[in-house]
Amino acid sequence: MIIGVDVGGTHADGVLLDGDILVAKHKVSVDQRHLTEVIITLLQQLMPGDRCKLQRIHLSSTLCTNAIVTGALEPVGMLLQAGPGMNPDFFARSCPTWFLDGAIDHRGQILRDPDPGKIDAAAVAMRREGINSIGIVTKFSHRNNRHELQVAEQLAGRFAHVSLGHRISGLPNFPRRVYSTWLNSALAPQFSLFKNALEQGLRHLGITCPCHVLKADGGTIPFSRASQFPCESVHSGPSASVMGCLALAAQQDDAILLDIGGTTTDIALLVDGAPLLEPYGVNVADRPTLIRALKTISIGLGGDSKVAWHNGTFAIGPERQGTSMAEGGVSPTPTDAMVVLGKLSVGSPQKAAMAMLALCPKEAPEYTATLLLESFVEHIRLAVETMIEEVFSRPVYTVAALLHRRRIQPKRIIAIGGPAAALQSFLAEAMFLPCTVPANYEVANAIGAARARLTVQASLYADTGDGRLSIPELSCLETISDRYTMLDAENRLKAAVSLLVAEMGMKSCPEIDFLERLELNVVRGFAASGKILNLKAQIRPGLTTI
Amino acid sequence: MSSYMPRALHKTALILFPAFDWCIRPDHPEREERLLYTRDQLIEEGLEDVENILFFNPELATFHDINRVHLCVPSAEKLLTESHLISAGGTLRAARAVMEKEADKAFAIVRPPGHHAMQTVFGDRGFCVINIEAIMVEYIRHHYGIRKIAIIDTDCHHGDGTQDIFYNDPDTLFISMHQDGRTLYPGSGFLHETGGPAAEGYTVNIPLPPNTCDAGFDMVMERVVMPILDEFEPELIINSAGQDNHYTDPITNMNFTAQGYARLNRLLDPDICVLEGGYSIEGALPYTNLGIILAMAGMDFSQVREPDYDPNRFVQPPEMTRYIEALCAKALRVFAGRGSRKHEAQQRRIVTNQKNIFYDTTGFHVQEKTSYHLCPECPGYSEINASGNNRHLHAYTVPFNACPRCQGEAKDMFTKSKPEAGKINVLQDRLEDIYETK
Repeated sequence: MIIGVDVGGTHADGVLLDGDILVAKHKVSVDQRHLTEVIITLLQQLMPGDRCKLQRIHLSSTLCTNAIVTGALEPVGMLLQAGPGMNPDFFARSCPTWFLDGAIDHRGQILRDPDPGKIDAAAVAMRREGINSIGIVTKFSHRNNRHELQVAEQLAGRFAHVSLGHRISGLPNFPRRVYSTWLNSALAPQFSLFKNALEQGLRHLGITCPCHVLKADGGTIPFSRASQFPCESVHSGPSASVMGCLALAAQQDDAILLDIGGTTTDIALLVDGAPLLEPYGVNVADRPTLIRALKTISIGLGGDSKVAWHNGTFAIGPERQGTSMAEGGVSPTPTDAMVVLGKLSVGSPQKAAMAMLALCPKEAPEYTATLLLESFVEHIRLAVETMIEEVFSRPVYTVAALLHRRRIQPKRIIAIGGPAAALQSFLAEAMFLPCTVPANYEVANAIGAARARLTVQASLYADTGDGRLSIPELSCLETISDRYTMLDAENRLKAAVSLLVAEMGMKSCPEIDFLERLELNVVRGFAASGKILNLKAQIRPGLTTI
Repeated sequence: MSSYMPRALHKTALILFPAFDWCIRPDHPEREERLLYTRDQLIEEGLEDVENILFFNPELATFHDINRVHLCVPSAEKLLTESHLISAGGTLRAARAVMEKEADKAFAIVRPPGHHAMQTVFGDRGFCVINIEAIMVEYIRHHYGIRKIAIIDTDCHHGDGTQDIFYNDPDTLFISMHQDGRTLYPGSGFLHETGGPAAEGYTVNIPLPPNTCDAGFDMVMERVVMPILDEFEPELIINSAGQDNHYTDPITNMNFTAQGYARLNRLLDPDICVLEGGYSIEGALPYTNLGIILAMAGMDFSQVREPDYDPNRFVQPPEMTRYIEALCAKALRVFAGRGSRKHEAQQRRIVTNQKNIFYDTTGFHVQEKTSYHLCPECPGYSEINASGNNRHLHAYTVPFNACPRCQGEAKDMFTKSKPEAGKINVLQDRLEDIYETK
């Protein structure tokens, strides 16, 4: 049995699952200052009679989001080696930053080592400013981590938290690596406090099973790894919702997932039944990162959005003024329209009708309500269309990829959230697609957290001319022979992923996908001098089968 | 967009398409690896997240887009692969981005290049089959009605293909600065090549001595290119942006740097750049391309330096500076004397040029005779006879700026021309956008 907990902004949901059967569900309100207590309360309620049957706890929490929103982030100092390129001064807008000399090039070749004197001077300055958490990032560290390790070694023992860029992600994009590393160091102290408090609570309850946290990519990682990489636990709410939809209404085709709330609607896409990921990572605290995440967009459109009638069209959201007029609010909302049409029974139908009359005094309330909900789903349809176009326009770099691009063609809509059922027929009609509103959707997020499985990704870059191989996620830099092949690379990366999975305490390794295979001959002076092999591997987000 | 990322002053579209699965031959300079390190550098810099820098995929050019410019023998369909259509399509996407105001500027970083491809195409020459800039120029004229366009060719090799295509067009200013043709392929691009009878002075060649440094290029930009552009007043400036003047390029002999390339583009301020040559794929291209992008985007490029860059390494000897100074003065006179032979040429009605074109990739020659049928109202139409590789072409080309009388005359001539076995007769009418063969 698995317990899934999803902590949201105002309330937290928990479920107890036996396989895919919902055994118990529970909801409590949330005081963001006392997250641990909230979680422990939920666990107490959900605990099965026989404790031994509990295999894992999966947790999606707002801890990191709160830390960011409330400014409770640890001050961080960044040590950056930017090498030749864009002027790196802009990094200093994010936090105190010290630039090192030296450089690594695009093939991972060391051009010049950093000056140890400069590193020391930076460390002294950081201590003087009271900085205790640092991040170390060099350009192209995914190709060669030597300089990041060198700096870390020189500063060993001098700071409480040290995050290295190459360990966070093996993807390119220096600014994103810098900001991911910053975030990781900024969250480290808070997360470790949270972990200690929660572990203490679990001990009190006599819970000994492993505890995993949900990530933005729809997968989980054990608590132990999350305390090393707390940045991975951000933005888990949307991924809980997507995984919940998957669990409640599994799909094999392309599909649109909608989570329609009071203020916002979140949109995600399934491609052949699998949730679509961001190409690099999610934006956190206004900074682009390499934190792998499901591709979701949030539009300011919900059941309680404020509605106005302007020049023959409805302006819906993004702001919200309390609740619907049916429930005693002051401005007309889509919820009022749902009440007028008998699709939702909350509050007073008379007040809901007043709301429609307030919008269009000369029209019958039913007519206005229908127009309003048609306009509501039209906004969603346009946002989905833009999202599909954006995904289709992602850059590709080979003739084959350009010629064989496939546009996502949804076959179904899966909608959850309070207003979902009321909007079902409108959505289906606007998009010419069947629309499903699954049962138990009010605890979809907790079910999603419970059913999510471990995800891992790793990347490999081998340069047989230079005789070097890098798997940044493992801090691995190895020598290889000039006869190294793509098959060798696949086997090496498979071993790396299996090792990561084993380190996370999983006994069996799920299927590994290989992505973005790239194999290019390196020619120097009209003769082949080696090959460059680039490969990514992942355990894709999916549902546990118990 | 994130307030923690830099912002480009000019909205700049990049069509970055390295075609990792296409090559002329696996060991050819034009091979899969060519833009790998450039792609890696641009992505690692985080340009995708810089506000106002946009990445677009190329589209596929149509055969109609190709036939608007070229006379392909036996046909565009038979000569071209999808890779060529994508490379040309990359420039069309760049043009569309600028013309439809999706961006202020655009840079098509695509391959294979095109500036050695002439109007008649019998095969691959100088790594080029079709002229991707020229296809873009005529596309822009056809779809957006732009007339005066300047093409500044900054590749180390003379842009002989582009020169050929626009040789008799006074609405296209073509300036090429390149390593002297006596020392480098294709062996042309001398001062005396100044344009056809209706466009005398609108082709300006600046053959620079081997080992020209940043100072020499700066001088050409300041003394020749910018003053001529000021006078010509083009509606659009295109940089045919080859990057093989770089000091590390393996097949040329110049001493230009990434800083120099960036400075050149800051000064030129082109609307559209199109990548041409450049075969120092590891030591130059990642830095020169980045420098050009930052310059176009109006961003700081001062820290874009090659790993082995040393500002004191390449100092131009004074005698070379004096030589380039004299060259600049002569080049200026070419443009100053524009149109001087026009009247004389018009008296003759028909002016004929002969040339021999060598296709180096497969190794054959084409004999070509161009007759310019001149007109007092317009640049006139041309009649082209070309033979080589056991094929014959007889074509009439009506330029976009022809008058209706010339257009009608070319049509009549085409109608009267007799089909013969082994010969392709073509009417290429850019006014009506027609390409007809028989």
